[in-house]
Amino acid sequence: MQRFLKSIQLRELLRPLGQMIAFSLGSSAVLSLIIIILALILDQTAVGASTMARFKVSLFSYTIVNLPQVLIDGLTLGFVYAAIALGYTMVYGVLEFINFAHSEIFAIGAFVGVEILIALKGREILSTEMSVGNAYWWLILALLAGMAAAGLAAVVVERLAYRPLRGAPRLVPLISAIGVSFFLQDAIRLIESITTGQFHRIIPTFGNFDQRLTFGSMPLGAGSISLGVQIKSLIVIIAAVVMLIGLNYLVNATKVGKAIRAVAQDRATASLMGIDVNHIIALTFLIGGMLGGAAGVLYALKFTRIDPFVGFFPGLKAFTAAVLGGIGNLTGALLGGIVLGLLETFAGTFMSIFTMGAAGAEYKDIFAFSILILVLIFRPHGLMGENVGQKA
Amino acid sequence: MALLETIGVTKRFGGLTAVMKMDFKIEQGEILSIIGPNGAGKTTFFNTLTGIYRPEEGKIIFNGHPLIGLRPDQIAALGISRTFQNIRLFGNMTVIENILVGMHTRLKQNPLQVLLRNKAFMEEEQEAEARAAQLMQYVGLTNVGNELARNLPYGAQRRVEIARALAANPTLLLLDEPTAGMNPQETAEAIKLFRRIRDEKGITILLIEHDMRVVMSISERITVMDYGEKIAEGLPEQIRSNQRVIEAYLGRETVSEKG
Amino acid sequence: MKTLGTFSQEMLRRIQSGYMPYLVSILHALVGIYLVYTSPRSNIAFLIFISSLLTLYTVKTSAAYKVTAGVLLAVVVMPILGVRNIFYLEILFQICVFAALALGLNIVVGFAGLLDLGYVAFYAVGAYLWAFFGSQQYYVIPYAPGTQPADLPFLLPGDMFYLFLMLAVIIAAVTGILLGLPVLRLRGDYLAIVTLGFGEVIRVLANNLDKPWNITNGPQGITPIQRPTLPPAVVDLFNNTLGPVIGHPVKASDVYNVLFYLMALLIILVIILVARRLDDSKIGRAWTAIREDETAAIAMGIPLVRMKLAAFAAGASFAGAMGVMFAASRTFVSPESFSFMQSIGVLTMVILGGIGSIPGVILGAAVVVLLNLQVLQGLSLYLSQLRQSDAVIPIINFAWKNLSTQLDPAKYQRLLFGIILILMMIFRPAGLIPAARRQRELAVEESGD
Repeated sequence: MQRFLKSIQLRELLRPLGQMIAFSLGSSAVLSLIIIILALILDQTAVGASTMARFKVSLFSYTIVNLPQVLIDGLTLGFVYAAIALGYTMVYGVLEFINFAHSEIFAIGAFVGVEILIALKGREILSTEMSVGNAYWWLILALLAGMAAAGLAAVVVERLAYRPLRGAPRLVPLISAIGVSFFLQDAIRLIESITTGQFHRIIPTFGNFDQRLTFGSMPLGAGSISLGVQIKSLIVIIAAVVMLIGLNYLVNATKVGKAIRAVAQDRATASLMGIDVNHIIALTFLIGGMLGGAAGVLYALKFTRIDPFVGFFPGLKAFTAAVLGGIGNLTGALLGGIVLGLLETFAGTFMSIFTMGAAGAEYKDIFAFSILILVLIFRPHGLMGENVGQKA
Repeated sequence: MALLETIGVTKRFGGLTAVMKMDFKIEQGEILSIIGPNGAGKTTFFNTLTGIYRPEEGKIIFNGHPLIGLRPDQIAALGISRTFQNIRLFGNMTVIENILVGMHTRLKQNPLQVLLRNKAFMEEEQEAEARAAQLMQYVGLTNVGNELARNLPYGAQRRVEIARALAANPTLLLLDEPTAGMNPQETAEAIKLFRRIRDEKGITILLIEHDMRVVMSISERITVMDYGEKIAEGLPEQIRSNQRVIEAYLGRETVSEKG
Repeated sequence: MKTLGTFSQEMLRRIQSGYMPYLVSILHALVGIYLVYTSPRSNIAFLIFISSLLTLYTVKTSAAYKVTAGVLLAVVVMPILGVRNIFYLEILFQICVFAALALGLNIVVGFAGLLDLGYVAFYAVGAYLWAFFGSQQYYVIPYAPGTQPADLPFLLPGDMFYLFLMLAVIIAAVTGILLGLPVLRLRGDYLAIVTLGFGEVIRVLANNLDKPWNITNGPQGITPIQRPTLPPAVVDLFNNTLGPVIGHPVKASDVYNVLFYLMALLIILVIILVARRLDDSKIGRAWTAIREDETAAIAMGIPLVRMKLAAFAAGASFAGAMGVMFAASRTFVSPESFSFMQSIGVLTMVILGGIGSIPGVILGAAVVVLLNLQVLQGLSLYLSQLRQSDAVIPIINFAWKNLSTQLDPAKYQRLLFGIILILMMIFRPAGLIPAARRQRELAVEESGD
């Protein structure tokens, strides 16, 4: 037993867990501090007055009371982004190429997972009264199916649309990837339209996922705000954490992972060392696709509605997260995802109140995108990316 | 006053110091070679001269202008042209167009003239084309003006790169391993060409070279680098007999030549 | 097989020699004109007609003949046929608009190698510019969408359209520079994502700037937008001269359509001229050099950021002008017209036709618009007819009736664009008409032998 434990290199399991906790707490703390200071300052201005008029509380207490919920929601979203971002970052690390179709791989995962659950619900296997244990088994099944389908799709896409283009000028595979992305969106839509007659799907309700665990409430003006977390948010976070640890272990502590890193470093040399580069690239797509597919199912669980274009915005955000963290860097993708998820949720919740209603949650995408531009201007290699010198 | 002078130039990559406190001078009209084993920092030093890298410390003065902080295009406009270790032509442009790109900083046409195609513009274009054709002849290329650069054989591509560098009317020409991959005959022709460039056009030439025959036959002075530092400089004969150089470089070279 | 090959080569050689090219092109055009004239609703007739321009482009004839015949077809024949069936004029107009956009994007992507995925943002800037100043929107600012009184005045007279056509060029170019400044130092693939994001930003702004001040009127869009005035005499003139050929009295709105079509054609001509002149100068050579190898380009003294900004601004300015045209011709703009889809559509045209190739991207625009408006919509129509019939798919025994109404081929542009992009990249990355480098007469070289 002890030898087995030794052989699984505990360090590689604990390190990412530590990182996740540190990143989550760290970015939560920093952003909370900023928003609290902002609230304190704005409290003295017209913004504070308008909050007082609307909610009968000061801007400061409004902010404080809402903060815990925002942090929980932000972290949930952040882990979804991180899981998608890993797919972008892995492929970028190995091929230096933005897999534009990754957002559709995500959508495929979501659709396969949701369709399986809908079918199960149709056979009355799933219901809200079923035992909690069973509900989790079925959910895990859907998650695995989504992962398998998305992983397979990613590999097929790589084989058909990217591999023939290896060695072509940079724009060529990128344009092909955009083509794949568009093709897949409509292919999903076509298949869904023919088989189900519609292409908006809703994940069925079953088990206790929609329940909310409450930790109490905080007074806000005349009423109060209850603090809590939906069970499905917890599932999303836990599932993402498990996957991220697994991926980290695979890449940093196994032979396959070493081969992946070798190919990322220098494809030609890696192939001279006897590594089957094509095989490793396909594997990278498989792993990235599986993570994306799982993220798709989790996304569907959290946000319930999906359509063939569901991947577009999460994909764009996840890419932003990957760039934010330093593209090609796995830890960076994790940090970028968490930071972006938090930032976006902060913007969605507080922007409206801080701008007295002039600009609300509808600008949260622009907000996330502005972050991307700012990062690219001031830290083009992201928060954790190293500066790679140009070669002349 | 030296044409180009560097004082204490240092370039680091993370923990690695690629160029260390380089003091270096090249006089107007010289042909000077920088030699050194692989990884000695020669190309990095070139890249600091041309502005691709910004050194952490030191000064670079060219013709009285400080170069540190200038962009590569600004440095090129001051009169430093270069070729690359692995040829970097514009593959999908014709040979003539490649050379015309080299003239970029010398052409005066402005956007308005481009759109109106006035007389000044047409004349300048014609002159440029004629000059490009002359340059092709000068470096020994015939009847390939309309070929795409990527379709040329290796030796011809090297020549195009030199013609493109000459097109800018440089004062200083930097050649990064210009004879790499050439056969003895091509090498001999290249050496002749470099001499002509210096003798006829008065262009100062600084080259990085591995081939010791080339170095010894063409250089008037040699600077030797090892591990980012200058370890020797002087006339070819001096370098040939310099103990440190033999240890660091020629020693290895002779061994490999025997083997 | 071989004999067939040599036979077809022989045929091709004969067609391309002597007076045959003239005959073939004239014949093709005449057949097309006859078919469209006699059966104005047939898609096939229209395709035969419009492809005669392609024949004209490919045959080996004198340049003077090509230009004359081309101008005759585009400026005289097409408007007449178009007025007989306004749907054709609409397609022609769309082709022109998209050809102009594709030509503009071609400067950015094709010449300078910068992948801009948010190109329609600049088109939107132009469109909203005229939509705001050429409508009542200025007086609508204090009202929420849909609550404004009906009798608001217009801010500017319709003839200011021409001024705004020029203004849009400048404003779109400035927008391009402002966007480009922070991002053009980035690597190419980052630029793609940033421009994509920028396209979305413009769309989101158009959607949401109806509060706190109503500037864009939100998702409902701005209408009515004025057109330049059309003197009644022009309509009369049109009727008097061409009335007999057209066969029915022409309304002012039809003449407007002809006018916008001709204006779009004119703008395309200007764009082609500008693009060609830029391409064949120090500027264009610098762009191509940047596309081919940035490090070598900068070592040749080419200021990267400035030249990239110039490409961005040039591309953007054309889109801005077309935006003003679009707003005036439709008298209506809404955020929907400026989606990411549209940007990809324009990119598809450039890729399909031939990246960097001016005739190529025009062909690309024509093919994509025709596929979109004729083939996909034709299929939609056909399917909906089948759906209403009692027909059944044999073997699987599926009644067309049960086919989902969601299955509307006209809505499957993404599939079309996606397939085109993938196949072109794998099998023909240079496009249908690949870009060719200019061949020069080199006097010295010849005398040197």
